[in-house]
Amino acid sequence: MNLDYLWNGFTVALTMQNLLIGLVGCFIGTLVGALPAIGPINGIALLLPIAYTMGLPAESTMILLAAVYCGAEYGGRISSILLNVPGDAGAVMTALDGNPMARQGRAGEALMLSGLSSFVGGVFGAVGLALFAPLLAGLAIGFGPAEYFVLMVFAFATLGSMVGSQPVKTLIGCTLGLMLATVGLDATSGAYRFTFNEPELGDGIEFVVLVIGLFSVSEALLILEHQASGVTVIRELGRMTARLDDIRKSIGATLRGSVIGFIVGVLPGTGASVSSAVSYTTEKRISDTEGTFGKGDVRGLTAPEAANNATACGAFVPMLTLGVPGSGTTAVMLGALMLYNIQPGPMLITERPEVVGGLVASLFIGNVLLLLLNLPLVNIFARVLTVPNWLLVPGILVLSIVGVYSTHASVFSILLMLGIGVIGWMLRKAGFDMAPIILGFVLGHVMEVNLRNALAISGGDISILFQSKISIILWILAGAMAVMPLLVGWRKAKRMKTATS
Amino acid sequence: MSDTPSSSSLVGRIGGLLMLALAIAYGIGGSQIEYAFASDPLGPRVVPVLLAIILAALCLLYLKSPGSTEAFPKGQLLVKIAAVPLLLFTSALLLEPAGFAVSIFLLTLGVGWIFGAPLRLAVVGAVGQAALWWFVFSYLLDVYLPAGRLFG
Repeated sequence: MNLDYLWNGFTVALTMQNLLIGLVGCFIGTLVGALPAIGPINGIALLLPIAYTMGLPAESTMILLAAVYCGAEYGGRISSILLNVPGDAGAVMTALDGNPMARQGRAGEALMLSGLSSFVGGVFGAVGLALFAPLLAGLAIGFGPAEYFVLMVFAFATLGSMVGSQPVKTLIGCTLGLMLATVGLDATSGAYRFTFNEPELGDGIEFVVLVIGLFSVSEALLILEHQASGVTVIRELGRMTARLDDIRKSIGATLRGSVIGFIVGVLPGTGASVSSAVSYTTEKRISDTEGTFGKGDVRGLTAPEAANNATACGAFVPMLTLGVPGSGTTAVMLGALMLYNIQPGPMLITERPEVVGGLVASLFIGNVLLLLLNLPLVNIFARVLTVPNWLLVPGILVLSIVGVYSTHASVFSILLMLGIGVIGWMLRKAGFDMAPIILGFVLGHVMEVNLRNALAISGGDISILFQSKISIILWILAGAMAVMPLLVGWRKAKRMKTATS
Repeated sequence: MSDTPSSSSLVGRIGGLLMLALAIAYGIGGSQIEYAFASDPLGPRVVPVLLAIILAALCLLYLKSPGSTEAFPKGQLLVKIAAVPLLLFTSALLLEPAGFAVSIFLLTLGVGWIFGAPLRLAVVGAVGQAALWWFVFSYLLDVYLPAGRLFG
């Protein structure tokens, strides 16, 4: 296996500028993750346009965003443990045992243990990414337009079956994203689609406008709505070291969580929320012989923490090698690459080794930096939880305005962001997840281009989509993914019926 | 925050109907896209029309069982929530004529106050944020932000 790209990547990631960028990203990411409800996507969405307008090269921007992503996965545990409010979706399961530990006066131990398991999960994920990315890229080199189109169908089927409790809502979100991607000039025919004679829509909806609108503006409205429901910060952290006995007890859970997290991360369309839930329930099934899960069991804390960090790295595998994001956050990062006119796919490792290698190497370095930052500075990060909303939310809105305005100096973009934000808020109120919309938007253009190219090659014969072995396997996998929720529902209903009778 | 099941599903159904209307409008718009030539068998119309059909079908499924929906705010909270986009809208319009600092001062003051800060603290916070962000972006990060035409 050729890992040259990785060694080159270390030379990129270890330059003084990129190390500093990585450190700043880790710090900001942990802060972003620690703040309840402001997840990695928000952090990345706000930083991306600023990094772009500052003229950072693509590899430095990716290192920054990856550091924010991993940092947020580390930081998410802080509010889960101290507030019982997850910092992001991936930290939901962390609260189940982390907060009870904090209530027992073991907040410091919980923070230390979860920091260590996050590190193990992150490094495991980075090793997996380094090994699997070239393998998958090699496999994907044989992909033509038809295979790519079917791959996108598979990504949506996976998303529909695994994200959220309501697949219909997820698929509606994907479709809305695909529809938004059709706005603007159609390069093949020169036709303007859904621009309403507005010149600023000629190039389509700006990616940053959509992301910031959907995540940051709608988030601000949700925070305003939810701020009435008071939460208590646990201020007594207790001893700030992990007991050897607890470390020993949690090794198995951490390793299992890492493996599950990485595998789930690699699956296109899923994210940390799925992996942490799967690892927690698996661990509970394996280890909870005394019924201690949910009452402050270290294994219930470490398994999902390791999983969500491994997922963050695993999600880069399909994004970098196939151009299909493994999570909502990597969907945003895919958009970031496209801002730099870089098309992710199997050729990316050979064409832009500094971007792929630099990013993978920065994940190794980032995890070490995060461990070094998180263990001694956890007290400082915990204090972030006391920043009042009246100071925090205006700050988020200012960053949103700057982020959108700085890319094209256009007031229209801010107004569009605002409109998207209000619609995003309504959708979130109705139980829709925003990640499928982003995924649909990011993949929409590529999906349409590949479908049209495939049909152009076949002269309009639709059977081209079912001809190659790869396409057939992907169709079968997509079908299986689509049927899975139905089977799970049927099994659950049958089990309930048996239990009642 | 969850509403009662009946009103919750009613809100969901209204949303579903709105999306169904969007699907129909989008499909009609897609079928009327004008183009001079197409170098592929599909052209620019087919994908939008297909997407409209898919969205319409999904909306029908959704209308059958809209699932859980959070209650929409009422009364004072609704006024507060509506005020935030209004403030953002005003700030966006003021950005170029009045400049970044003034526009951001008004936004952070208004939003800070809506979020429950006492007026004095909201003013201090707004002055601080306007100055901080202007310094960070314009001087440290060299990001272009408008100084405003009103003040020369």
